[in-house]
Amino acid sequence: MLESIEIENTIDTDQIKAGSKPLAYKLNDIQPKLCIQHISKTFLSKNGGVSALEDINLEVKEGEFVCIVGPSGCGKTTLLNIVAGLEKADSGEIWISGRKINGAGSDRVVIFQEAALFPWLNVIKNVEFGLKQKGINGSQRRNTAMEYLKLVHLTKFQHAHVHELSGGMKQRVAIARALAINPEMLLMDEPFSALDAQTRWILHFELQSIWLKTKKTILFVTHNIREAVCLADRIVILSTSPGRIKKEFSVDLPRPRDDNDVNVAEYSTRIMKELKAEINKVLKCEMDADSCVECDIKCTTEEAAKTDAGGGI
Amino acid sequence: MYSVIKRVIFFIFLIGIWELLFRVGIWPEYVLPSTVSVGKTLVNGFHDHTFLIGIAISMKRIAIGYGISIVVGIFLGLLIGRIKIFEETLGSLISGLQTLPTICWLPLALLWFGLNDRAIIFLVIMGAVLSITIATDTGVKSVPVLYLRAAKTMGASGWKLYLGVIIPAALPHIVTGMKQGWSFAWRSLMAGELLIVCLGLGHLLMIGRELNDMSQVIAVMIVIVIIGILVDRLFFIKVEKRIRERWGLVKA
Ligand SMILES: Nc1ncnc2c1ncn2[C@@H]1O[C@H](COP(=O)(O)OP(=O)(O)OP(=O)(O)O)[C@@H](O)[C@H]1O
Ligand SMILES: [Mg+2]
Repeated sequence: MLESIEIENTIDTDQIKAGSKPLAYKLNDIQPKLCIQHISKTFLSKNGGVSALEDINLEVKEGEFVCIVGPSGCGKTTLLNIVAGLEKADSGEIWISGRKINGAGSDRVVIFQEAALFPWLNVIKNVEFGLKQKGINGSQRRNTAMEYLKLVHLTKFQHAHVHELSGGMKQRVAIARALAINPEMLLMDEPFSALDAQTRWILHFELQSIWLKTKKTILFVTHNIREAVCLADRIVILSTSPGRIKKEFSVDLPRPRDDNDVNVAEYSTRIMKELKAEINKVLKCEMDADSCVECDIKCTTEEAAKTDAGGGI
Repeated sequence: MYSVIKRVIFFIFLIGIWELLFRVGIWPEYVLPSTVSVGKTLVNGFHDHTFLIGIAISMKRIAIGYGISIVVGIFLGLLIGRIKIFEETLGSLISGLQTLPTICWLPLALLWFGLNDRAIIFLVIMGAVLSITIATDTGVKSVPVLYLRAAKTMGASGWKLYLGVIIPAALPHIVTGMKQGWSFAWRSLMAGELLIVCLGLGHLLMIGRELNDMSQVIAVMIVIVIIGILVDRLFFIKVEKRIRERWGLVKA
């Protein structure tokens, strides 16, 4: 199933310097960080069951950055919530570092589409929230929180209130808040999709640099192929109704990657082409079943390169 | 600023008409006292401390009764808001009792506690607690699921989840309930003090009636209105506005 598309310039000294890949490879043969086994989930509604996920199997290595991409409604959020322990699967199991999970826990912190910061706390207290739950004492808590606030370049705003922050700043605080607990994994559910293109572009850099520094295992959900190519080591494509793993691509471009980089654009286009059939299927589903014309998406390199955040499915 | 001037002019106008009616002398003084004698009673009342003592006694009662109402109201609201079985049982009792005017608790209060402070405090509690309970219940039910999920993934659970997330997230509703509860409590307190005569502002009002001293009656009424306005305007409206701003419910 794993399909790796070769990219010409694979000799990337950056990566070896940053030391991310070698770590992932070394631990490869030990034990996966996250192991999703035979996860299925059906939602019951008035007109019968909606099969959201069907037999999902996925392994994520320690320190790996995996993006889950799929059309709207294919079950990405559901899958992430099941991994987080916020929702129960009908069948299947989730293992983290060899432990079977049962319910939510601070070893896997979720970052949501809206930052979900607590408005009754200021920025620094928000970052301290998880540490407080762990019972870490005041001064140590403050120091750790400041450290992570520094990581997202927001120390200046430590005493600001949530309603005084921009969308991008909120999301950065949410990232700091999640990292401060030092979780084993970060689960991110379209965290940047509500932001404007520039802010998203900046946060793509910031997230990559954080990932290179902290070596966290990240499971990142998006519907934007370009974003996935920009961030991921590996992209997992989900198909819609029922949600199944359709394809996997590994991305082997040097970091830090830029949304607007030619290689990123080209790679996104290739994946898009591969998924044309799936996109057509989604369009057909969303339109009136009877009156649907065969939708043909023109997907050329130039076109993909032109749209700034393009590649959404 | 302009509206303040309009208000001041209105009140001067009102007092002017009152004084004019007094001067015309249609009614005897025990029906309509002069503005001057009401003013004098006010000054004397504060000067010889009778009003201050009355205010202090009333304030002590409402502080105890309202304080208990807040604790009990929030607790009951959390139970009803979060636990199904309490919602189905206690919830229906509370919304039923809310239709009962507070003063209807008076006979029961008298039989249980007698003519004393505790009966009055009981009336204050019955006045305030239901509003606070219902507001807390609403607040708890409208806590965004996102906050709960975020808190859970960061390891919050049990009482920490209640204290750290659910109560603060419900605070805008709770404060609105507290504001309404305060005004009910203040009314119940006055009703209680009028009927269960044992000191306090309501008692001063009754003394005025017994002595046929209309100036005292009006002076005490003015004090009661002013305290009510002060607490509502200077405290609750400000707190409510701050919280709504901070919680992002209105644009700052
Ligand atoms: N609580 C629920 N009850 C019933 N159906 C649900 C529920 N949650 C999700 N679904 C259904 O499950 C499917 C997958 O939903 P999910 O939110 O996981 O999709 P998604 O891939 O995250 O979509 P999007 O990209 O729009 O966020 C959808 O068809 C949705 O209608
Ligand atoms: Mg989603």
